[in-house]
Amino acid sequence: MSPAQILATGATKRFGDLRAVDGVDLHLAGGITTLLGPNGSGKTTLLRCLATVSTVDEGELLVDGLDPRHETDRLEVRRRLGYLPQEPGFARSATVFDVVEYVAILRGSRDERARRLQVLDVVERVGLGERLSSRVADLSGGMRRRLGLAQSILGSPTLLLLDEPAAGLDPDERLRLREIVTEQRDAATVLVSTHHTAEAVIGDRVAVLDGGRLVFVGPPEQLAAVASGRTWVQASEPKDVRASWRQADGKHRCLGAPPPDAALVDPTLEDGYLLLVGA
Amino acid sequence: MTAPQIDPARLDRNWRAITVELDAPRRTRTERLLRRVGVPSHTARLAVATPSLRRAWFVAIGVVFFVGLAAADPTNPRDDLFALLILAPLVPLLGVALGFGPEADPAYEITLSTPMRGFELVLTRAATVLITSIALLTVAALLAPGRSLAAFAWVIPSLGLVSAALALMTFMSPRRSAATVAVAWVVVVTVIRRNALDPLAAFAAPGQALMLAVVIAGAAVAYARRDRFDLLQVSW
Repeated sequence: MSPAQILATGATKRFGDLRAVDGVDLHLAGGITTLLGPNGSGKTTLLRCLATVSTVDEGELLVDGLDPRHETDRLEVRRRLGYLPQEPGFARSATVFDVVEYVAILRGSRDERARRLQVLDVVERVGLGERLSSRVADLSGGMRRRLGLAQSILGSPTLLLLDEPAAGLDPDERLRLREIVTEQRDAATVLVSTHHTAEAVIGDRVAVLDGGRLVFVGPPEQLAAVASGRTWVQASEPKDVRASWRQADGKHRCLGAPPPDAALVDPTLEDGYLLLVGA
Repeated sequence: MTAPQIDPARLDRNWRAITVELDAPRRTRTERLLRRVGVPSHTARLAVATPSLRRAWFVAIGVVFFVGLAAADPTNPRDDLFALLILAPLVPLLGVALGFGPEADPAYEITLSTPMRGFELVLTRAATVLITSIALLTVAALLAPGRSLAAFAWVIPSLGLVSAALALMTFMSPRRSAATVAVAWVVVVTVIRRNALDPLAAFAAPGQALMLAVVIAGAAVAYARRDRFDLLQVSW
């Protein structure tokens, strides 16, 4: 099957007076999209709506033309879906095999022998093949994340949603995670949420959420370009800038409207992101 | 067979099948027992996958089993029977409360995102709990001396309580719904006992008919609102 198509039109999710997702318009079909945004910007809520465990209150959120608000459509979307929530949580006494097999059953795998092979396949793909009988309690944080990833790629989903998969991982584990995620690029539409701009490098495009609103969608270099002509360095303490911080060389890196004699520098993706989210 | 005649893909498949058979961890006792009595492997796995269900529920069954036996007082059989009849229906109720929802299932959000309907999953676990507890508590009832058919008067009430809890679960968390139903049950049965001449009045024909109506009404509400088992309930 080809990667799933996501079409959001004015998608809104409310919790009381709070609009956690506010009128989001988004069209994705294949590739990896990094969903960036500060804490509380609505990333998790948007992913939950896409994962069909929550529904939008206004607007539409369709996956391959299916509307998850209807039971039959929701089940069909779930057949195409792989999902790693922000806090996956597995029973500490369960083994790696138990966890993945349980999800395989929930995904409809009835034949025991085929199911076991399916479990072995995904567990090996995330590098946990030697830990089949290890209990969750004995796994490191990175291994648990990979276990979460293993269950999410069961059955080759065409829509893969990963909520903060790199949270709390050391650089080696993050690299391993990136390898696993990028392997899915051709087979699925992958949406990875993070609040670390460094993670955006794996994406073909970046979507930025702020206060529930989608404020940017485009390739990473285009996000950096948002800060073009608005990033400079200066020796003295800046005033009236959107954001600034002191670099290792002692100079101040500044974002905002530059003074006439500003020493403009090439912006990074992080500069563009900070300008967008109203730093 | 010489090397060129071996299909490498087939060899790999077979080797992997052997590997997974050897490396897969041993099933729990409960799961092996379920499979031995003919429950399919996937259903057995679904039924016992919640660790809190396994531990707390078996403790509860044990407690009621021994209460049922220990309370057997030949001088006052109807009082002793009352203790069994009021406690026994709470066991499957506890099992249902511990078998579903974010408090019971650490992987709850992942569970919800799969094609398995939440209602189907909760029914699978409720059925496992009901069948097992009814079987074990029946043994307790039979072992107690001087028991009659009245010793089985808890069966329909236990179905009623589970059904009512399932219906309430579409409004509140599984644990809160089970606690609400349990408190209501104990209060109503105790009040009837205090005001009636027969200690077992609540378990007579009218009471059984009422609980049967609760079974049907609870099931109807739970089915009509089954969507709630499929979506994350932030308010729980």
